[in-house]
Amino acid sequence: MATAAATAGAGRAWGVLAQFDSPAEVYHAAEKVRDAGYRKWDVYAPIPIHGIDEAMGLRPSKMGWIVGTCAALGASGGFLLQWWTSAVAYPMIVHGKPYGAWEPFTPITFELGVLIAGFGAVFGMLAVNGLPRWHHPLFSKERFLRASDDGFFIAVDARDPKFDESATARLLQEAGASAVETVEDE
Amino acid sequence: MAHAPANAAALLSPANTTLARDAGRLPAIGLVVLGVAALAIAVAGAILGDDTAKKVALASYHAGFLFTLGLSLGSMILVMILHQVNAGWSATVRRQLENVMSLMPLCLAFFVPVAVFAPLIFHWMDPHHTAGDVIYDAKSAYLNTPFFYVRAAAYFAAWLILSRMLDRHSVRQDADGDRFRTAKARRMSSYGLLIMALTAAFAGFDWMMSLDYHWFSTMFGVYFFAGFIGAATSLCALLLILLRNAGVMEGLVTREHLHDLGKLMFGFTVFWAYIGFSQYFLIWYGNIPEETMWFQTRRTDLWMPYSVALAFGRFIVPFLILMPRPWRRSPLVLGVMAVWILGFHALDTYWVVRPTVETAGAEVAPTWLDIVAMAGPILIFFGVLAMRIASRPLVPLKDPRLGEAMVHKNYV
Repeated sequence: MATAAATAGAGRAWGVLAQFDSPAEVYHAAEKVRDAGYRKWDVYAPIPIHGIDEAMGLRPSKMGWIVGTCAALGASGGFLLQWWTSAVAYPMIVHGKPYGAWEPFTPITFELGVLIAGFGAVFGMLAVNGLPRWHHPLFSKERFLRASDDGFFIAVDARDPKFDESATARLLQEAGASAVETVEDE
Repeated sequence: MAHAPANAAALLSPANTTLARDAGRLPAIGLVVLGVAALAIAVAGAILGDDTAKKVALASYHAGFLFTLGLSLGSMILVMILHQVNAGWSATVRRQLENVMSLMPLCLAFFVPVAVFAPLIFHWMDPHHTAGDVIYDAKSAYLNTPFFYVRAAAYFAAWLILSRMLDRHSVRQDADGDRFRTAKARRMSSYGLLIMALTAAFAGFDWMMSLDYHWFSTMFGVYFFAGFIGAATSLCALLLILLRNAGVMEGLVTREHLHDLGKLMFGFTVFWAYIGFSQYFLIWYGNIPEETMWFQTRRTDLWMPYSVALAFGRFIVPFLILMPRPWRRSPLVLGVMAVWILGFHALDTYWVVRPTVETAGAEVAPTWLDIVAMAGPILIFFGVLAMRIASRPLVPLKDPRLGEAMVHKNYV
């Protein structure tokens, strides 16, 4: 059983991993991968690289919309909750103020907007990143551990419509990779 | 020059960094003439009109003066902040702030009529008005006529000296290229900011809050600041957009700089709303008569529409429009919002000053006299500003941070 599974796994490529030695090299290689029209790929580096999102041709993140929607829902929910409880469900005079006065609702409306936006930011980010997950095929490569030390990597996913194991490997080689290898799906 | 782009010398050529000496001369003179004409009409209206007309004209003129003063103060504070934090990106932006800041003597000239006719609108100066008034008696150690003028003189002395020194460092550096002027300006800005914080806040207490002398709000100084700092940032963005359209400052002021100014405009919009709401909210909750009456005056049938317009125009609209990144980077959207914020800052100033004019306890509705009296100083200010801009280089030509500003880029 175990041998059969291993053989089947070894036959399917998850993608191609290429290593670069400097931020500048990985930056220019990313431009070449972008220009070749790839869509499902990523750059891994131990440090932030200014302008890498442009070099990769990334479009603006979806996070703004997620967080904005959460903020609007949180704020309106917070306002309605207070208005409904203190002006409709259980009207009570406090400080001789009108039942539905908006003023005391404002801080909590704001806070709830911030709270739900914060949840949206954290959980939305995890969802967009595909986290949490137990494992990733890239971790099976010893060299990839250097992504958190001194290695700069580009990994192209086999699910990319333009992916072709040898052509993609050649592109990365020509883009200046110091090492290119195929990553197996497990 | 560290980080300078390869074509730095070309970018700093006179063709890119100066306007022709007579550029925009005609519209500038036109603005000044219009402003003088508006003031003349306001003066005629005040002389020919009754006592109320005189008060209305002076109050609106006072609002116009405070609007121009706020732009100068705000620009000076921004120059000091940018020096103090050693903001490399702002080197190419700073000269426009210095142009607005250097109009402080004009603001002093605008203040003279207010100082002369002050008892017309500052009711606490009238002994008949304050006789037996316990609230006034408690404040009279601070709020008395001689001390009022001493303070005004002190504020203007501080502002004139600081603005002149800062401006001179910048202009002289254009000629001698002495980099240590940048360090000197920075050192000046440290104690300068402290002086500005105190004088601007107390000017707000003296010239705006004391119009309704029973009322007090310890936050009012910050409210004054929060309004004018956003307006000064907006004016800077507007000037840069207009100059870019005139075909100069190519590669010196880019979308990146506008983006940063847009972030500041957004931030100060939220800050104004935060301060304005906090001031209102605390007084609303406390419900103490001598505090609530200030807002009560602005919640009448006459003034309520202005209050609501202010909340929407000065906060909600710019808050939503300046939120998306692409809009903050668009010169068109940013330019429109700069004009918008300046307009609502003018309304804010008017809204603070004008409802304090009363005739026998009754409020006085806005008239044409308000428009001419308030527009007068503002039009003259913008006219003189246009001449000032054309009179000297558009960027500090030898600022050591210039290279950094030219290659400036926002990654987020």
